[in-house]
This record gives sequence, C-alpha cells and structure tokens, in this order.
Amino acid sequence: MTTLIRRAVRRRALGAQLATLVALAAAGAGCTRALPNWPVTEQSRPFAALDSSRRGSAPPVAQAVTPERLLRARGEPHNWLTYYGAYDGQRFSTLDQITRANVASLRPAWVFQASPLGLTPSPATYSLEAAPIVVDGVMYLSGYEGYVWALDAATGELLWQYQHSVPLDVAHCCGNVNRGVAVARGKVYVGTLNGYLVALDAASGRMVWQQPLADVRAGESVTGAPLVVKNLVLVGSSGGEYGVRGHLDAFDLETGRRVWRRYTVPKPGEPGSETWPKDAWARGGGTTWITGTYDPELDLVYWGTGNPGPLFDGGPRPGTNLYTSAVIAIDPDDGAIRWHYQWTPHDVWDYDGVNENILFEQDGRKLLAHFDRNGHLFILDRTNGQFVRATPFARVTWGEIDPATGKVTPRIIPTPEGVDICPGPAGAKEWPHATYSPRTRLLYTPVVEVCARFKRGPTVYREGLYYLGGEADARPHEQWGEVKAFDPATGRQQWAWRSPHPVVASLLSTAGDVIFAGEANGYFNALDARTGEVLWRYNTGNGIHSNPVTYSVAGKQYVAVPNGWGGWIDGYAPELFGARRGTALHVFALP
Amino acid sequence: MKSVARCALALAAPAVLGSCDYVRLLRPSVLKQLNPPVVRLVNELPRVDDVNEGLIGGLFARGGLGHAKVGGDGVMRATVRIPAGEYLWRPAIIVMPKGGELELDIYNEDPYSYHAAVLPSLGERHALMLPVNSHGKARIRLDQPGYYWFGCPVANHVTRGMLGFIFVYGDTPAEAKLDRPPQPRPRN
Repeated sequence: MTTLIRRAVRRRALGAQLATLVALAAAGAGCTRALPNWPVTEQSRPFAALDSSRRGSAPPVAQAVTPERLLRARGEPHNWLTYYGAYDGQRFSTLDQITRANVASLRPAWVFQASPLGLTPSPATYSLEAAPIVVDGVMYLSGYEGYVWALDAATGELLWQYQHSVPLDVAHCCGNVNRGVAVARGKVYVGTLNGYLVALDAASGRMVWQQPLADVRAGESVTGAPLVVKNLVLVGSSGGEYGVRGHLDAFDLETGRRVWRRYTVPKPGEPGSETWPKDAWARGGGTTWITGTYDPELDLVYWGTGNPGPLFDGGPRPGTNLYTSAVIAIDPDDGAIRWHYQWTPHDVWDYDGVNENILFEQDGRKLLAHFDRNGHLFILDRTNGQFVRATPFARVTWGEIDPATGKVTPRIIPTPEGVDICPGPAGAKEWPHATYSPRTRLLYTPVVEVCARFKRGPTVYREGLYYLGGEADARPHEQWGEVKAFDPATGRQQWAWRSPHPVVASLLSTAGDVIFAGEANGYFNALDARTGEVLWRYNTGNGIHSNPVTYSVAGKQYVAVPNGWGGWIDGYAPELFGARRGTALHVFALP
Repeated sequence: MKSVARCALALAAPAVLGSCDYVRLLRPSVLKQLNPPVVRLVNELPRVDDVNEGLIGGLFARGGLGHAKVGGDGVMRATVRIPAGEYLWRPAIIVMPKGGELELDIYNEDPYSYHAAVLPSLGERHALMLPVNSHGKARIRLDQPGYYWFGCPVANHVTRGMLGFIFVYGDTPAEAKLDRPPQPRPRN
C-alpha cells in the first residue's frame, strides 16, 4: 500500500512537472489569438507608382558620355559633365551669356524642392551639398538619405528618383549628406552613407550594380562624389573622426569589379611607414572624402587626404604621419603614389588636407593651387610636387610656413587646459571649393574666419567610436566670412568681399567675368570678378553649403545652386547652429 | 516505464525550455542586460506604454520583436498585426537574419482607424494602404546590415506609437573591411 501511494505521489509529481513545462511552453508561444482569415486585398507599391507627376525615365543622353569626352569637358560649356566641371578643378565655365553688365537682371527660372522623410535625428542633416551634373538637358543631383534625382535641366521636372536604403545606424561625421554623382557610359555613380558605390541606369534610375567599399562597423562611410578616369570610377572614404585607415578605391565602370585600393596610411615596411610608431598606423586616418582632380597629360590624379587619428592628440603618433593632411599624386591605372606633399605634418588641429587641388598653367609651367584648411594658399609644381610658394589667406596662429621653402614651424598645439588657435577645426577654408578664372588669371576662394579653443583630452580607441583625443570649441570667438581673390603668380591678395557669416559654399567663375558665391544666410551673390563688387543677390531662403554650377539648354544659360543649411555647423558657423533648415535647388536665368 | 518517462522528459525539457521566451529570459547574457535603468523602464511600462495612460501615445517597444523566417525560395517572411485601439505594430521590431527580400503580411485589426505602412526598400520606399479589417502584403528588399524604420503615415500615428524597425543582421563584406589587425570593440 505504502509503495502504491509513493508511486502515485511520484506520478503526480511527474505530472506536475509536465504540466509546468506545458504551461511554460504555452506561455513561450505567447498564446496569441489566431490570425483573421482575411484575403490579401492590398499590395505595397513603390513611391514611384504613387507619383503621377514623375515621368519615370530620362532621355538616354548619358550613354554618349565617354571617358574621352570627359577629357574635353570644358569644350562643352552647355554641360557640367564632371564634379568640378572639368578635370582641372577650376570650376570655370566659358559660358558668357550672363555677364557683369547684365547679371543684375538674373531671375529665378525654376526650383526643385526636396524634404527629408525619416528619422535621422541631427540638426546637421538638412543640406544639399552636391554639384549637379548636367548632360545635354538632363541634370543629375544627389542628396541626403541616399537620394539621386534626374531632372529636366530646363524646367526642373522630376524624371526619375532613386533612394538607396541607408540604415539609420551608420556613422556620420558631419551630416546626412552627399556631394554628388559621376556620369559616364549610360550610368550614374553615387556613394552611399553605408559604404557602397552604386551604379544606376542613367535613363531609368534603376540600380545596375553595387559594390561595398567602406567598413561601416569601423565608422567609415562614403560622402564624396566619385570621379571617372579612363575606364575606372574612383571613390574615396569618409570617417576620419573614427580612427579608420583612409583609402581610395577604383572600380571598373561597366562591371563594378574592384581594380585597386590605395591606403593613404602605410603598413609597417611600406614607404612612409617610418613616420608612424608601432600600431598607430592602423587607426591613422587620412580619409579621402573630397573628389580629386586629374591631369591627362601627366596621367596623374591629385587627391587630398584627411586628418590623422586621433585628431587633437599627437601623443600616440609621434612623426609626420604620412600621407595624412597631404596631397597624393596617383597613377590612375594602379593607384601607385608617384609623389606627395604634406600640407600639415603631424596635424593636431584637424586641418585635414582634403581641399581641392586646382590645376593651371603659368609661364609654361604646370602648377597646382591649393587653399588648405591650415590657412595657407600653396602653389606646387604638379609634375613632381615641388614647393613653389605658400601664402596665408586668413588669420593664422597655429604656426608658420616659410613662404620660400615651405618649412613648417608649429607655434601652438592643443593643451589639456585649452588654448585659442586660428583657424578653427573646420579650417580657414572648409571643403567648398575655390575657382580659377583663366580670363582674370586669378584664384578666388571662400574664407571661414573662425578661431576656436583647442583642448587636448583623453585618447582611447574603440572601433566605431569617435577617436578625437580632445575637442575644439568655436563658439566664443568672433566669426565672419569672405570671398578673396589672389594672384597665383605672386600670392598677393587682389580684393576681398566680406560676408557676416563664414562663407562655406563653392565659388563659380564664368567667362562673363562673374563670380557666383553663396552665403550661410541663404543669399546667392554675383560678384564682379575684377573688383569683388556685388552685382546681384537673391535670398534663396536657406543657408548654402554646396556647389553651384552653370550650363545651357537651347542656347539659354542657367546657374544652379543647391541650398539647405547643415553639415558640421558647430565647426564652421556655430552662431548659425539654430538657423532654420530646408532644402531646394534654385536655378536662375536671364529673362 | 518510469525511467522511460524521465528520459523523455530529460530530452524534451531543453527543447521546450529553449523555445520558451519566458525561460530564455533567465539566460545570463539576458540577465546582464537587466541593469537598473532597464529595470526602471520595464517597471514603468504599464504607465508610459499604454495609450492615454501616463502619456497620450505609446512606446514602440511594447509591440515587441519578431523574427522573419527564411523560406525555401530565400525570401524572408513575417506577419505584423495592428491591434485594436493601440496605435501599435506587433511586432514593432522585425529581425531579418541577413540581407535580402522581406515579405510582410500585415493585418489591420484596429476598428477605430485605417492605417498604412511606409516601408524602406532598395531603390524606393514602399507604401501599403491598410483599410479597417484588411490584410495587406508588402514585398521589400533590404540588402545591407543595420536597422531601418517603418511607420504609419496616417496623421501622426508614427509619433503616437506606430514606429517600427527592421533589423538586418550581418557584417561588413570582407572586401570592404580595412586591412589592419583586429581592433578593440566598444565593450572590450
């Protein structure tokens, strides 16, 4: 009897265990209500199918854009075929319908507006920074959130739209932005914030191929415009704040096959590695986030490199830190570095070296002009990188550069307590580009007159996190901007025009002897190329931080400027951090 | 007989327990996440995550998380429900184990409102209308790892709770990785 009871109890205990498990399993399954037995009545559709105002395709004009045609881009002034308008980076157009004499009559022709639809929670988001590309009446424009638009260049009608699906959790340095596309052989090439190079069919906007080139987990992204050189498309990396290792990549135009990658920070044993201590090279920075220029005769690509990592603390990286904050002259066929010139050796001010390198000739000599963030205009012999001249073009207190030899003498470096230094971390000229007019033989540059309090701080590296080694606060200082004209033959300033805010938009020069200059307060100005006098201005309604271009359709000259206040505002114009946001492309023409 | 039952129980228990989300909460890796701020949030949920209780809206997190299942054709599939009167996607987080195509069956069981879904997809966002008591189907493509948002564009339903996320698991493709030794991660 006792045994029977014991068995019964054990059975009951076993039953209780099983019941508990069943209950847990049921709970685990969620005990959810059954799904309704409703048939599918609705199907998702892409936005394109819900926008009857869109034409859906563009004329196949881009099919005829060959690498050979890009070599002669300046000979097609009705188009703006490549990022700077031509390989030399001059941002000069031979169009002369709009002149000093008639520019005062310039009127709006059309406006293209876009609005973010998303959650990227940054006040630095809402900015169109691109240089629109124009091919025979079709304009290709890129924007934030992976957008690329094809527009009718005469009317602004939207032909097609592509949006790359960019995850929310990618690392941005300075805003949800993109600086433009490249167009060739029927394709539109664009980099994405999650590190891909995407080739779109230029007629339909549909993706043809995509290739990864940036390590998003390390903090890399792609923001710069690709550059087509011969049968390759070159694209740089972004993310210099995250202790990455910068590189430039080349892909086959047709297939997207990677042809080469060139790191800008050498590994141990490679040339230049002696400028780095053990291990520091792996986080050395030197990103390549601004498009390069190209000399087809020398067959050299000139590409700027960004700051070393960490930004403000040179302690972990004694040495000159090649090839950061420099220009590298690259063989486009294999990415080999033919020569280099370092603007800021052992940079501890975040001055980068990415700004454009403008190619021009003087007295039969092939030269290169570069307005560096460190506040100096450099002139180099672009055949071999030999120093010609350096001239300060803004307030400079960080150090001195011998105008005759180029020898750099640092004077003030960031301290743990903090010290005031000019220029600020965004530099005396931010990335927006200068221009060179072969008519006036002058260089024109936007100027950021911002200083900052630089503080060296703790330096700890963790993949995907900021690797700054300090900070720079631009807030307590007086700030303004200028457009300045320089004679590259002497380095002398010819004229200056002052803006109440730092000038952070690229300049455009034309054969009408007009310089177009956007301002941070939204004004778009036409200046006399010879005197700097303001000839015309128009309030676009929002800050300009982009690349204006000019082109013509059916004999009519247009000037286009994207706007939208954003980017690294606290670096280059903190007094406008709270300014309103909004984005549009404004296009002007004579009546 | 008794030993057979015990043996069966011993074999079945891990499988049952492994599939039981409540029991999986007891894993050390999960318990480690229950730090004081998270515990405070969970304790506050009845107040802040119910429509018109502490707040007018609700937190998206209450919709929970669901996994898309990979079909024989390689397409990942998940079901999402919009419950009555809650301004909520259930689940609010959809996990894709890898990049690719995702097919969503969405049921609007909310008798108080029609809804809609704006969804991310490579090339162009998608829109799906969801009348009251309807069943809609979305087919989207998300190739690359990271997380993406989706939401209901009707009125301000997104900010009242109808904000959802799609997690795409994966790593940077090998050809895009930096040539350097492994680096310390944030929690190292």
